[in-house]
Amino acid sequence: MRLLNLFCCFLVFYDSVSQMPVAEGKSVQQTVEILTRKLELLGAEKQGTFCVDCETYHTAASTMGNQGQAGKLMYVMHNSEYPLSCFALFENGPCLIADANFDVLMVKLKGFFQNAKANKIESRGTRYQYCDFLVKVGTVTMGPSARGISVEVEYCPCVVANDCWNLLMEFMQSFMGSHTPGIPSMFGNKHDSIYSPGDTMAQYMELFNKIRKQQQVSVAGIR
Amino acid sequence: ARSDEGVGRRPRRRKRGCAGGARTGAGGALEQPVKRGAPAAPPYREAKTMEAPPVTMMPVTGGTINMMEYLLQGSVLDQSLESLLHRLRGLCDNMEPETFLDHEMVFLLKGQQASPFVLRARRSMDKTGTPWHLRYLGQPEMGDKNRHALVRNCVDIATSENLTDFLVEMGFRMDHEFVTKGHVFRKGIMKIVVYKIFRILVPGNTDSIEPLSLSYLVELSIVAPAGQDVVSDDMRNFAEQLKPLVHLEKIDPKRLM
Repeated sequence: MRLLNLFCCFLVFYDSVSQMPVAEGKSVQQTVEILTRKLELLGAEKQGTFCVDCETYHTAASTMGNQGQAGKLMYVMHNSEYPLSCFALFENGPCLIADANFDVLMVKLKGFFQNAKANKIESRGTRYQYCDFLVKVGTVTMGPSARGISVEVEYCPCVVANDCWNLLMEFMQSFMGSHTPGIPSMFGNKHDSIYSPGDTMAQYMELFNKIRKQQQVSVAGIR
Repeated sequence: ARSDEGVGRRPRRRKRGCAGGARTGAGGALEQPVKRGAPAAPPYREAKTMEAPPVTMMPVTGGTINMMEYLLQGSVLDQSLESLLHRLRGLCDNMEPETFLDHEMVFLLKGQQASPFVLRARRSMDKTGTPWHLRYLGQPEMGDKNRHALVRNCVDIATSENLTDFLVEMGFRMDHEFVTKGHVFRKGIMKIVVYKIFRILVPGNTDSIEPLSLSYLVELSIVAPAGQDVVSDDMRNFAEQLKPLVHLEKIDPKRLM
């Protein structure tokens, strides 16, 4: 079975989220195992599990006419690394960090924002610690099917992207080899600004969006 | 709703009566310390634990807890403020006198429904580093005439500072704003707020304000899970002790319109 590309997320404090392509001729599960074995050989320690999920809301028809704008997509995400928080984002728009009650508010807003339940996507997997790095290798699933692999690498002591991007790249190469990604596009000119969890979630959102689109393309290609 | 008790990655910090200041205002009252979500990134990294959050902290989805706000309101003229504060200091829990200066903005989302969806965004003007407070208040529950307090559904959310930009992106528009300045007291789970409302003369400029009236609004409130009507008895008993300085009653906002 040919698999989709994996997403690598490099999220860092400075953190990077990206997709990892599935190895030729192997399943998602097997590729994840290859990666995690490489990490364990490096000396990384397993430290529990993680989960990042993303729900999609779109503005209901009732509000669209009045606002005079096309329906917008709002993403509400959760990250087990920040269990008390909820992240709400618009693509290319602001990212709100709120506490867990934001989910309750979305229920109250259901007349205005509809939850596209079929679009719910999540990444779950194991957390590894290697010195100052935190690596999370996750299987990205949408409903019952596995859609790809995400790899999140976090360099904990640093909050400015510019200061540690090279170090992060070097570390990633040691277990991802040629699949090491380039600097995430969302950073653009912001290399010197202080990193925040919202940046992590924005990277995951981009990743999940890429994966959703990919699936539609590769359905024809699945053997 | 997600389980939010216990230890997360960052210790939960509680500000008494305060997340963006004690919330008050026509229809609003902050009932309990609002728990902080992920705070804005500090200028340097905090010591960070590397362990995974314990399994019990894993997000719990499904099921919401409906919190209700029980409210009694009254007012005192400016000249009676001091005697009321004196009485409250005596009756309430012993704590550092807490004053607040807040800026509240009320946002509306208009849809095809008859009534727009109202959200209140509040921030502290005198305390730095506190999260913004977003509040939803439902319609007052009608029914039991014997119930001593006004009861309505409420949802309180602590948020990052870009709340107003985010609300606008969602389609909300600001309807009005005001400044409140006052004192907050606590007795057990009851919160008592005595405050003055100020009109903002130039939109967005909180430096030029003027008082709306020659009196202070007094609010006694409790936020509790739905079904705990017995709390309104405690509120009535406490309100009795404040007479005749102030008469706190159940005021239906609809009757004022």
